[in-house]
Amino acid sequence: MVERIKRLISDLQDFYLLAFNGLMGIFRRPFYLKDTIEQMDYAGAGSLLIVLIVSLFIGMALSLQLSAELASLGLKMYTGKIVGIAVIREVGPVTVALVYCGRVGAGMASELGSMVIGHQIDSLRVFGVDPIKKLVTPRILSSLIILPALTTIGDAIALLGGYYVAVFVSNQSGYVYWSSIRDILDFENVFSGSVKPFIFGFIIATVSCYMGLTTKGGAKGLRRSTTNAVVLSIILIIISDFMLTRILLYVLGFTL
Amino acid sequence: MIVFEDVYFSYGTRSVLKGLTFKVKESERVAILGGSGEGKTTILKLIVGLLKPDSGRILIDGEDITLKEEDELMDIRKKFSIVFQDGALFDSLNVKENVAFCLREYTKMSEEEIEQKVRELLRIVGIEEAIYYMPDELSGGMHRRVAIARSLAVTKPKMFLYDEATTGLDPINAENICQLINELSKDGTGHIIVTHKLVDALRVAERFIFLKDGRIVFDGNIVELKESQYPDLVIFKKELQYVI
Repeated sequence: MVERIKRLISDLQDFYLLAFNGLMGIFRRPFYLKDTIEQMDYAGAGSLLIVLIVSLFIGMALSLQLSAELASLGLKMYTGKIVGIAVIREVGPVTVALVYCGRVGAGMASELGSMVIGHQIDSLRVFGVDPIKKLVTPRILSSLIILPALTTIGDAIALLGGYYVAVFVSNQSGYVYWSSIRDILDFENVFSGSVKPFIFGFIIATVSCYMGLTTKGGAKGLRRSTTNAVVLSIILIIISDFMLTRILLYVLGFTL
Repeated sequence: MIVFEDVYFSYGTRSVLKGLTFKVKESERVAILGGSGEGKTTILKLIVGLLKPDSGRILIDGEDITLKEEDELMDIRKKFSIVFQDGALFDSLNVKENVAFCLREYTKMSEEEIEQKVRELLRIVGIEEAIYYMPDELSGGMHRRVAIARSLAVTKPKMFLYDEATTGLDPINAENICQLINELSKDGTGHIIVTHKLVDALRVAERFIFLKDGRIVFDGNIVELKESQYPDLVIFKKELQYVI
């Protein structure tokens, strides 16, 4: 038991060091621009289609549920407003983060894990290249850029999906829907939804890189580290989402 | 050049090296033999500071590397060229980019100069034609050759470290790699080869260290090796009976 606690503390210490050094690497030479662009391409261009599909259907489902419920109360005209708030503040950032985690986070963990197993990380160290700087920093930086961008695109598509259902299925006014959306695009809501992707991106990149770089054993170890990266990232995203929401509501002056 | 003084090392609760003590001179050609899991690769990793011993000292040219931090180990690592099992090539880069990796990291050579240097290195190891191949298009022997070329790219090492350089190769490729190892040592550069194939060890080494249960149970030259009656070593020597 004592041994397990010791190991947990040691693992946490290693994780914090990796996260800190990985983040600080953004501001220290050498800058691996090519590696960062490659990561952005893999994470951004590669995830775009999935984000579009998922966001579209999330927006449509949300609009459908709300339209049905609000129609029974005679409040259908609020569909746009509630869909907008839900998507921008909560559903959009979390959904895109989960998609990103499943695709990009798993990819990071498995790629780095196979590099560990194949002694490629050892090779880097022997050549005097810092694996954190060369491999972790570009992944953190690309996630900090790409996830907010994907979230913005995902939000827009989810709102479009919501519009389609509200107008063509629930027979609401398109003008009312978009004017409700315009009304809720104030600083509080936009800021609330914009902060989260940065935090989620950092969590996914650091957790996935840590899991990948601590891979032990062969194929089984790789499977374990990839699974752990995705599961732990998802748990941390959901927990941090709650905590961020609580903090942001307080900071932005919302009363509960 | 390399001194191990009472070195202990373990992976978690599994003790691998138990009080290892030996010296290797700069131009010596040493083979470290032993069964799987005896800590042969661990010794190579300890020499270049990729692992730290639990206790004991490792001296490289008189400097205790066990006390050094990662960034202080660079000068030590420049003295060695290590070729990992299976080559450890970067699988997202082609042969040219793998060999050019250190050139791009540490020099300001132009693209033409890099191409010229890479071709020269690949010519030395005999696979210039594979310059644009991806690692997954290479055979096992080619992997090792590219890894050797890559390790020669920036600095001239004082000593080569080979981790199971011939394991998994057919006899022809194994012979070619052994010839290459001997070729690279002609100018007096030493090497340590870690292997469990006594046949290949005999081709490239003049001194043999045999590990058993984390300890050195034999350390001697070819004559002493032939005379040794240590039971596990006798089993290894049986392999030689099947050579002809």
